Amino acid sequence: MIRKPTLIATAVRIFELSLGQMLWSRRSVFLALVAAVPVALAGLIRFAAFAEPRALPQINGERLDGAVLFGLMIWLLYVRFIVPVLGMFYGTSLIADEVDDKTITYLFVRPIPRGAVLVGKYLAYFVCTALLILPSVVLVYFLLVPIGSSIGRSFPSLVVDLGVLAAGIASYGGLFAWVGARLKRPLVIGLVFVFGWEPGVLLFPGYLKRATIAYYLQGLVPHTMPQESGVNILLQVFQEIPAVPLSLAALAGITLAGVWLAARAAETREYVLDQ
Amino acid sequence: MNRKTRYFVIASLLVLGIGVAVGFVAYYVGVPTAFAQQGPDELQLVPGNAVVVAYASVHEVMASNLRERVRQALPELPNGQREFEDATGINIEHDVDRVVAALVPADDGRVDVPRSGLLIATGRFDQVKIESLMREHGATEETYRGRRMFAAPDSGAGLSVAFVEPGLVAVGSTTLVKSAIDRKDGAASIRTNDDIMTLVRSLDRGNVWAVGRFDALTAQAKLPPNVTNQLPPVTWFAVSAHINGGLLGDIRMQTRDETSANQFRDVIRGIIAMANMQADGHPELATVLRSIQLNGSGTTVAVSFELPAETIDLLAPRRLQPGR
Repeated sequence: MIRKPTLIATAVRIFELSLGQMLWSRRSVFLALVAAVPVALAGLIRFAAFAEPRALPQINGERLDGAVLFGLMIWLLYVRFIVPVLGMFYGTSLIADEVDDKTITYLFVRPIPRGAVLVGKYLAYFVCTALLILPSVVLVYFLLVPIGSSIGRSFPSLVVDLGVLAAGIASYGGLFAWVGARLKRPLVIGLVFVFGWEPGVLLFPGYLKRATIAYYLQGLVPHTMPQESGVNILLQVFQEIPAVPLSLAALAGITLAGVWLAARAAETREYVLDQ
Repeated sequence: MNRKTRYFVIASLLVLGIGVAVGFVAYYVGVPTAFAQQGPDELQLVPGNAVVVAYASVHEVMASNLRERVRQALPELPNGQREFEDATGINIEHDVDRVVAALVPADDGRVDVPRSGLLIATGRFDQVKIESLMREHGATEETYRGRRMFAAPDSGAGLSVAFVEPGLVAVGSTTLVKSAIDRKDGAASIRTNDDIMTLVRSLDRGNVWAVGRFDALTAQAKLPPNVTNQLPPVTWFAVSAHINGGLLGDIRMQTRDETSANQFRDVIRGIIAMANMQADGHPELATVLRSIQLNGSGTTVAVSFELPAETIDLLAPRRLQPGR
């Protein structure tokens, strides 16, 4: 008698299949470009700093050094743009791509838990995105931080930033995996969430910002940004910063809940293929 | 997972792993990177207890447009420069590339009475010619750790000159020159002084700079008490300048407390305002004043200024302007 494969074994098998597909797809060309832009920008800044040190901006008389620039790029580029956008594009398409390609039938006729398909694809998304984004962060770090700062002294912030970005990739992916598995027009909803809801709600005091992922990510980011006067001016935009344990718990909860809900949606929903 | 995917995963993990490992080693061991601003190599010869350290890229300054303008206006060498060349055989304009100078406190550790100085010059020196010139002037010769040292005959402070290595000469008190030779062979240097090195690393890439304790400078200047009592309570200072066609300057001072810094900034603003009142009939002065920026926060007072070549022409007396 053939035993039905377990959820984990199935998820791992789907992960192996999906990783290669995801990595070498056209969507990943976009991902690679997105990961390369900060590296190119960091290279330009480094070249400018080498050619003309006074080209670096000043805030309140203090010229920004490499560590501050790195922190700004992490927050403004990676945390507020790259990670949410990639989570949205990849997360919403985990099941949608299979539906569009009409290959979902082949997956679902197999004697495997349907939820495992989604879990495996989510894992492939996480690994694919992390392996492209995190090395680019390391390259940006070594390009920027030596400008007027010390690689050794700033190393703890690099480690924390890598962790923050991994947490962001996981949580945005989990959320949008559920959006893609459950809702129609997931991309539109994703765009509204990333570019409308989160930036808007974060600027106003109140409880609404707790319904965003960026709120909890920012609870982790200040520990990575040096307490310089120039950076504090920018951080004043965020008037309420959650505690680190709360942020970690919330992000873990969003990730697990998103993936679980997405798996449940894959189990229960009937996917109608366009003829 | 096919081979292409496997290679990609391995490459990404390698970049990530190597980056984190290098950062980890730098954090715990303090591996110096080629990119960090550590100052010139000559700092290795400066004692760790130096209270003021200065640097000048003599070659860059001498090759600058500004220096060319001054040289055209003043073709004769200044007396001090000529006397130095006569005594040592070293022509500052052509032979010297970089100079590092340091003020070292007295043996009793009092900072306010610096005792001796050390000057380290890098360049192209005819060692044989210079040594024979010093012998002709009556310098006494001794050998220390394989290097020949020449002590000036009539110098009460024990002024000595030694070639630490080809192209690297140390001038200063005998004790400091010997200690520079010791440092060349591996003893601890100013690079272990976090206070000074933090200031050095904070500097922009100027071709002339000086950092150190402000009270050491005032003590060296031997100012009268009624003047020193009026000076602001500045502890550390860092001055840098980039000399090319014009002059870009940065002066940064650390005061004892925030109140002193605020008062000092107010004083500087007042001086600038008063100068602005006087600048009506002097457009060149107005240009200079407009370039002055006062910044800084907390206990830091920072002043930056820019003097383009055209402004320097306007400021200089007629005899200094080229072609006139």
